[in-house]
Amino acid sequence: MIEIKDLHKSYKMGSNSLHVLKGINFKVEEGELVAIMGSSGSGKSTLLNILGMLDGADSGEYTLDGVPIKNLSETKAAQYRNKFLGFIFQSFNLINYKSALENVALPLYYQKVPRKERQEKAMQYLERVGLKPWAGHLPSELSGGQKQRVAIARAMAAEPKVLLADEPTGALDSKTSYEVMDLIQKINDDGNTILVVTHEEDIAHMCKRIVHLKDGVIVEDKKVEQVRAGQYV
Amino acid sequence: MFDRDVWQEIFNTLKTNKLRTFLTGFSVGWAIFILVMLLASVNGMQNGFVGQFNDDATNSIFVRPGTTSKAYGGFEAGRRIQLKNDDLEYIKQSFPNDIEYISARYYANATARYKAETGSYSVQATHPDHQAIEKTLVIAGRYINEADVVNKAKVAVIGRKVAEDLFKDEEPLGKFVEFNGLPFRVIGIFTDDGDDNAERRIYAPVSTYQRIYGNTNDINAIALTYNPNYDLSEALEFSERLEILMKRRYKISPEDQAGLYVWNYAEAFDNISSFTAVLKGIGIGVGFLILVAGIVGIGNIMVFTIKERTKEIGVRKALGARPRQIINLVLLESVFITAISGFVGLAFAWMILAAVGPAIQTPAFSNPSVSLSVVVTATIILIIAGVLAGLLPAMKAANVKPIVALSDK
Repeated sequence: MIEIKDLHKSYKMGSNSLHVLKGINFKVEEGELVAIMGSSGSGKSTLLNILGMLDGADSGEYTLDGVPIKNLSETKAAQYRNKFLGFIFQSFNLINYKSALENVALPLYYQKVPRKERQEKAMQYLERVGLKPWAGHLPSELSGGQKQRVAIARAMAAEPKVLLADEPTGALDSKTSYEVMDLIQKINDDGNTILVVTHEEDIAHMCKRIVHLKDGVIVEDKKVEQVRAGQYV
Repeated sequence: MFDRDVWQEIFNTLKTNKLRTFLTGFSVGWAIFILVMLLASVNGMQNGFVGQFNDDATNSIFVRPGTTSKAYGGFEAGRRIQLKNDDLEYIKQSFPNDIEYISARYYANATARYKAETGSYSVQATHPDHQAIEKTLVIAGRYINEADVVNKAKVAVIGRKVAEDLFKDEEPLGKFVEFNGLPFRVIGIFTDDGDDNAERRIYAPVSTYQRIYGNTNDINAIALTYNPNYDLSEALEFSERLEILMKRRYKISPEDQAGLYVWNYAEAFDNISSFTAVLKGIGIGVGFLILVAGIVGIGNIMVFTIKERTKEIGVRKALGARPRQIINLVLLESVFITAISGFVGLAFAWMILAAVGPAIQTPAFSNPSVSLSVVVTATIILIIAGVLAGLLPAMKAANVKPIVALSDK
């Protein structure tokens, strides 16, 4: 599903150049649930940004579902993001003046799905994350866990190939974190490919595979016995 | 474009920033208001000027004799020129295709008496054509006709004021009134839009007065109108030809300014129209500059809005919004604020003009109003202004990098 070869990325910091990713080789199969771990500055967020086409690599190859991702125009990148990727952010990033339903429907709007169909589909996904009764609520009327579940529903609404989650539990207490992870595991059980960036050990162990990043290189890549979050909920 | 989501977003930003939106919109509305009012004022001035001259046919020329100031053709300077009856015929035959109406004028004063009432009035003895040249409005009876001139009939067309002064409540038509002791029959009453003084005038057949004053052929002036289809340059060219002809006939030096006066209304109109054109230009210029200030204000507010919504725009881009869609959103919002506030300004100006305009009727300023074309132009300007105001901020928004917008730091 995802294949990257010898990926390099550096940032200019004034006159200095900061080499963040120093040759990453990495493969993700369909249906995997991968945790990307590392301390801050290890390059895990940069990697996720490149995978999410929010940023470009300096060198190296990136293939997503058989499509080479290279030299994309803004418009093309937007189309690919919409078609291939769903984002889940640490700070949820819901649009605060739109109801939960409208937030979920937004990616479908950019896919030019007709309004009615959009709303029906969005409602289905809200139901899946257990928030159907909150469809008409604004984000400000929802708890943190609910917000993240709306964000997950939004990420899934466009039926992307890969879900990218950047510290999805970073802003939540541990109980809510496990609820969110439970949801992510269930989505993965349905066959969706998910990448989770985290620095929390327990969250990482709820995935099926852990990739450790340190100073811009992968230092460890191992399959783990998945801890089901459901038992803590 | 007419998408519910887009409008929802626009209304939301406007709603959350009511005061800011109002203040910005106000600057544009105000600018359009001033622009329309300025144009209306210029229009009012033009109406006023035109109204002043409309009293007479605007295609008229007056020929008046003077005293020569240069020796020419064997004559010494200081010769008095005297126009005669046959000059009329001569002009008519010289310019058969140019002349529309032509009439002589013979000036006299009359002490008029009817029963116990007396008054002193000026008399213009004319030909029938004079009615068309002076645009005399006969409200009762008739004007002088050809038969009156041929018969040297003692008939008079009197002004409304004259009728009021002399006849009080009596019906003047058909009554005899004495001018300097001679009885004239009143055949008509006229009004004049120009002013009250014109209504204290009396018209009589030119031949009648020439006989009274010693059976003369003399006339004091010639009034004529030319082909109304002439444009300004043709009109001026014609009056030049007329002046050359008359100066040659009376052996006046072509350079002599005092020997003969040919006064063409078109010249005055030329001056007025270039004057109002300049005023209009100034009006548009000033209004436009104020509008520019308004546009900058809108642009400023859009920059702010985008700054506040950077994160949201980043999220949208992450969800698959294309740059075009972001640009459209910002442009539409900008055009919307500009257009709505502009229309409010336009409507206000229009309402004020509709309410007050027709009441303003002074000689130099009357009925300020705006035409449909001004409204249409203003609308187009508004939409262009909205696009201009939104363009830079929109491009800025489209260039927002999602990762920068989404970084939580």
